[in-house]
Amino acid sequence: MATYLLRRLLLGGITLVAITVIVYGLARNMPGNPLTAQMGEDPSRKITAEDYARMQRAYGLDKPWPAGYRQWAANLLRGDLGRSITRKQPVTTLIGERIGPTLLVSGTAFVVIWLAAVPLGLYASARSGRFDERATSLVLYALYSFPTFVAALFLQIVFAVWLRGTAWELPLFGMSDLPPEASLGARLLDVGRHLVLPVTCQTYVSLAYDSRFIRANMEEAVRQDYVRTARAKGAGPWRVLFHHAFRNTLIPLVTLLGLSLPSLIGGSIIIEQIFTWPGMGRLFFESIRERDYPTIMGLTLMFSVLTLLGQLLADLLYCLVDPRVSVA
Amino acid sequence: MQRSHGFWAEAWRRYRRRPLGMVALAFVGFLVLVATLAPAIAGTKPVLCRYKGRIYAPCLGYFDRRLEPAIFAKDKFRGTYPRNLAEKDPGSWAIWPLFFQDPYRSVRADEWPGRPENPAMDQGRPSRSHLFGTDQAGVDVLAKMVHGTTVALLVGFVSMGIAGSIGIVVGAIGGYFGGWIDMLTSRVTEIVMCVPTLVLILAVLALIEKPTIWHTMAIIGFTGWTGIARLTRGEFLRLKASEYVTAARSAGAGPVRIMLRHILPNALAPILVPITFGIASAILTESGLSFLGFGPPPPSASWGSILNGARSNLGMWWLVFFPGTAIFLTVLAYNLVGEGLQEATDPRLREARK
Repeated sequence: MATYLLRRLLLGGITLVAITVIVYGLARNMPGNPLTAQMGEDPSRKITAEDYARMQRAYGLDKPWPAGYRQWAANLLRGDLGRSITRKQPVTTLIGERIGPTLLVSGTAFVVIWLAAVPLGLYASARSGRFDERATSLVLYALYSFPTFVAALFLQIVFAVWLRGTAWELPLFGMSDLPPEASLGARLLDVGRHLVLPVTCQTYVSLAYDSRFIRANMEEAVRQDYVRTARAKGAGPWRVLFHHAFRNTLIPLVTLLGLSLPSLIGGSIIIEQIFTWPGMGRLFFESIRERDYPTIMGLTLMFSVLTLLGQLLADLLYCLVDPRVSVA
Repeated sequence: MQRSHGFWAEAWRRYRRRPLGMVALAFVGFLVLVATLAPAIAGTKPVLCRYKGRIYAPCLGYFDRRLEPAIFAKDKFRGTYPRNLAEKDPGSWAIWPLFFQDPYRSVRADEWPGRPENPAMDQGRPSRSHLFGTDQAGVDVLAKMVHGTTVALLVGFVSMGIAGSIGIVVGAIGGYFGGWIDMLTSRVTEIVMCVPTLVLILAVLALIEKPTIWHTMAIIGFTGWTGIARLTRGEFLRLKASEYVTAARSAGAGPVRIMLRHILPNALAPILVPITFGIASAILTESGLSFLGFGPPPPSASWGSILNGARSNLGMWWLVFFPGTAIFLTVLAYNLVGEGLQEATDPRLREARK
């Protein structure tokens, strides 16, 4: 077990180095740099050639990118993710500011998804082949194919344009309209209203996917001998379904949970972009546009670590849940 | 005695029994038809015309500008056919597209005798003359969508063609040879999987001087092969231990021959399933990119870029409804085809159906 873990961590480290080198090289070779990207937007920030050269030196942009990467990696080993060039703040502070809003959306969506997907999946496998199940499955399947950005635009049109002025109106974007002086209750309600549309968009696709996944695994499980045995000994249909079949589908479910870790914390770029939600996905998108190398690298590192950790976690949980599987 | 069918004939027989799968396949066929006939459905150039004694097909210019006969440029038509044809050769005739609307520009007043200018800004609600409405620039949405069908189809096939080839080769090599080669290919797969796709796409698009839709397709293909590689690797790992592979090896077949002739045909069915699903997700990625404003530059008509126009003015619901529905139906169709393929070729599910 210890050697397995060590090997995985070592390989993960190599993968991380490769990913960061690729992303750093790509980012540095995109046309423009954080200084020109800022100046392009605002002519009043035009600076003289000497100032430009001085700032380039200050940020280490005058050196070729392999040297810049070495510098970044050396700082990282000292636990320093660097400072954002365009926002003049440490990258860790930026991430700390943005992680809360993203977790608010993805966490809420996560709870809703699993609270709904498990019963839906079980219901579908219990009534497999009947008309109502066929209809539900078809709707879920259609939802799964429905693009998030189209759904987001539809929802915005309905709730922010057509229902404007009614009690059903929902805010178009942002996280909060109220000033910080407002009472806590009012602010919570306000954030809650802003949450509805992004959470809906993030929920429905995964809901459709996960409930189908549960159902597919259940169909596999109910064909097993132990389910026949359970039926033969006189267990009721629901007991068979839940106690005998569902418990045995937990293994693939756990893997799915592990693999959803990065998207949980990374947020969705498209959804956060549409609803101008101040989260991680939007930070990522903005940092690419601003050529803010330290932020791009910090976020890339975080996503890759999470992806690799998620995979490792899924594999480890797998053998924890199922003693028959061994890591070696 | 009945002759037994081959694997694919059997799979097709099974697939045909699924009504939804057949509807989906028919829809894809319909899209292919729309894409190939696009210039005849919507356009401002005649499908066929007789001009100064010869017959031309100027509508081919929509596929490639070079295909538009040179005589019309020489006679200073400037892309406006109806009036110029009548003025410069009274004896000419022309067969016009079903809808006289251009996918790349607004139709001016009196360009078609007696027809007013296309409504621009937020005035272009769907009406009898513009079934799907017009966008801010006054471009007819129906024409844009008809011509955008080509992009949607090509994105799916080209990018998954690339992703499928890379995925199968990488997965096959890793799965068949094992050992340190497998270790290497698995790491490469893992790295590509972890690099954020958006960074890769945006960076590469920024690096290319004049990005076109083909670049977008290539990048989606070069980043989307990891799932296929993993599945192929698994199939090859499983199949290389089978007796017929041992038999082939003892008969003296080399590794390339074994991989191509003996293992791949048997592994193809399960690999085709994620490729079909991949087509659906490639279409989603491309329209998402266009929606964010990173699509192919004009004059390329992508469904996602129509949606982008709606972001600044949500009152123009028709800019969301029609292209949104088109993207949805296309993605759904490919997913249904993929699912049908899966159920028709997976022997485990087959047992259950009997």
